[in-house]
Amino acid sequence: MFVPLLSALLNSLKSYKEYTSVPIQWIPNPFQWQNYIEVWKMTAMDTYALNSLIVTVLSVIGALLSCSMVGYAFARLQFPFKRSLFVMVLGTLMIPPVVMIIPQFIIFKHLGFLDTLVPLWIMEWLAQPFGVFLMRQAFLAIPKEFDEAAKLDGCTPFQTYWRVYLPMCKPQLATLTIFTFMTKWNEIMAPVIYLSSEDKFTLPIGILSMSGAWFGQEQYLVAAALMSLLPILLVFLFTEKYFVRGASSSGLK
Amino acid sequence: MLKRKPRRLTNDGKWGLFMVSPYLIQFLVFLSFPLIASLYFSFSKYDMLNAPEWIGIENYTTLIQDPVFHKALWNTFYFAVLFVPAQTILALILAVALNQSLKGLKLFRIAHFIPVICSWTVVLYVADAIFNPRFGIANTLLVKMGASPQAWLNDEALVIPVLVAVAVWKGVGYMMVIFLAGLQNVPHDLYEAAEIEGAGTYRKFRHVTLPLISGTTFLVLVLTTITTFQSFEQIYVMTGNMGDVTSAGGPDNASMVLMLYLFQQGFSFLKMGYASAIAWFLFLILFAITLIQLWLQKKWVYYEN
Repeated sequence: MFVPLLSALLNSLKSYKEYTSVPIQWIPNPFQWQNYIEVWKMTAMDTYALNSLIVTVLSVIGALLSCSMVGYAFARLQFPFKRSLFVMVLGTLMIPPVVMIIPQFIIFKHLGFLDTLVPLWIMEWLAQPFGVFLMRQAFLAIPKEFDEAAKLDGCTPFQTYWRVYLPMCKPQLATLTIFTFMTKWNEIMAPVIYLSSEDKFTLPIGILSMSGAWFGQEQYLVAAALMSLLPILLVFLFTEKYFVRGASSSGLK
Repeated sequence: MLKRKPRRLTNDGKWGLFMVSPYLIQFLVFLSFPLIASLYFSFSKYDMLNAPEWIGIENYTTLIQDPVFHKALWNTFYFAVLFVPAQTILALILAVALNQSLKGLKLFRIAHFIPVICSWTVVLYVADAIFNPRFGIANTLLVKMGASPQAWLNDEALVIPVLVAVAVWKGVGYMMVIFLAGLQNVPHDLYEAAEIEGAGTYRKFRHVTLPLISGTTFLVLVLTTITTFQSFEQIYVMTGNMGDVTSAGGPDNASMVLMLYLFQQGFSFLKMGYASAIAWFLFLILFAITLIQLWLQKKWVYYEN
């Protein structure tokens, strides 16, 4: 499990001669920490990282707002077509995204969003099913008495959700944050579809696009790739339980 | 809700509709409309520059005779047949092993989850350390054992198995966590009862664990199958060249899968109608497989009631 990761890490610290040596030179001598600094300085990594950050942060905010709001409506409010709409949420989980890709691309083309970051995060503001389920379950688990108390105080349903219920769902909000972060930080398909200019690239496709320029210097690419892993790795190490919780909740019926 | 009272929209109803509106917008604009549009495109010639032109089932008849499509279909099935059982069995073994002892559990869980949080770009360079044909660890070991070095991803016969091995390495941690959640739900007294009956480790696993987590297993199988048939990112990153979609799927289409073919036809060659036909074909396959899995579920999934 660890061997591949470890050898990639060692590769990123080698000189090209050590990196390509046959038989393998396992341990770099000396450790070329400057690989990381140089690749950061000599490429557009900072631009890619910024783009990745914009997409990820906007996606997380959108997912938290929209999924919790929609989840609350499904859990606690009565409105026309509620049941059939919820069946639709279930149904959309069954329809493979592949069928939607092309028309969605055409919609964004007509809206003039091709080669911008908008298509990469806007969908998260429209309540994706995974988050809606997660939040709906969270709200359902909270006793209804709070509702009545808030009503007596003259709260609108939105205020009840915002002030009373939402603060009680911190674990689920954390899970949703982590999961959206992971998906968006690593996403490749949407950037490949929507982005064409290099200054819009996110990290995963930006690093891929560098490989031509670094031919014969591949150890720099390994360093770049591992650098792109660092932020999410740090987040993961500190919030491991939410990752696991999110993964197991996808296994709950 | 037995009686349906005709009533005007209450205040709560208005709030409810307002709060559910993000999903309503998604449903109408980004789901319903695309669904109908893509079905229409699949019966049209459409290059995104001119209006779609209705051509009936021509896309589908071309598809059925398209040799590259056959190859993509075969490869997709081949990938799934190797990957789904391999990952599921390994995830189950790991979960059962981790469920036994609490010592070092957390560290192992973390270790197995790290590949899950890697992007495919990271995985590309991690896999390169192993499978690089010139200086990778795999060939070093082969040569040490006196075997001949392999071309791995550049070998038509090996490319899919290598991709599957890497995909299992990346995905097994996620499925393991789902299995662990399932194992937590197995009542402990059942194991104790089995022990009193004199059951050993194997029989406990076979007659207590397996039946009781068969629901989880079913879920894992369905999830894995659906995602595997739509796998694109891995193939694009690991067999492509510098992020060029048209260069992926090699050598000689040996790793061409349905999703990549759809992508090339639609986004590289602007044959949006043809690509939509591939999408619907893929959808029908998935639908059929899921139905079969649901039907088989009755035969082996154990439900308490």
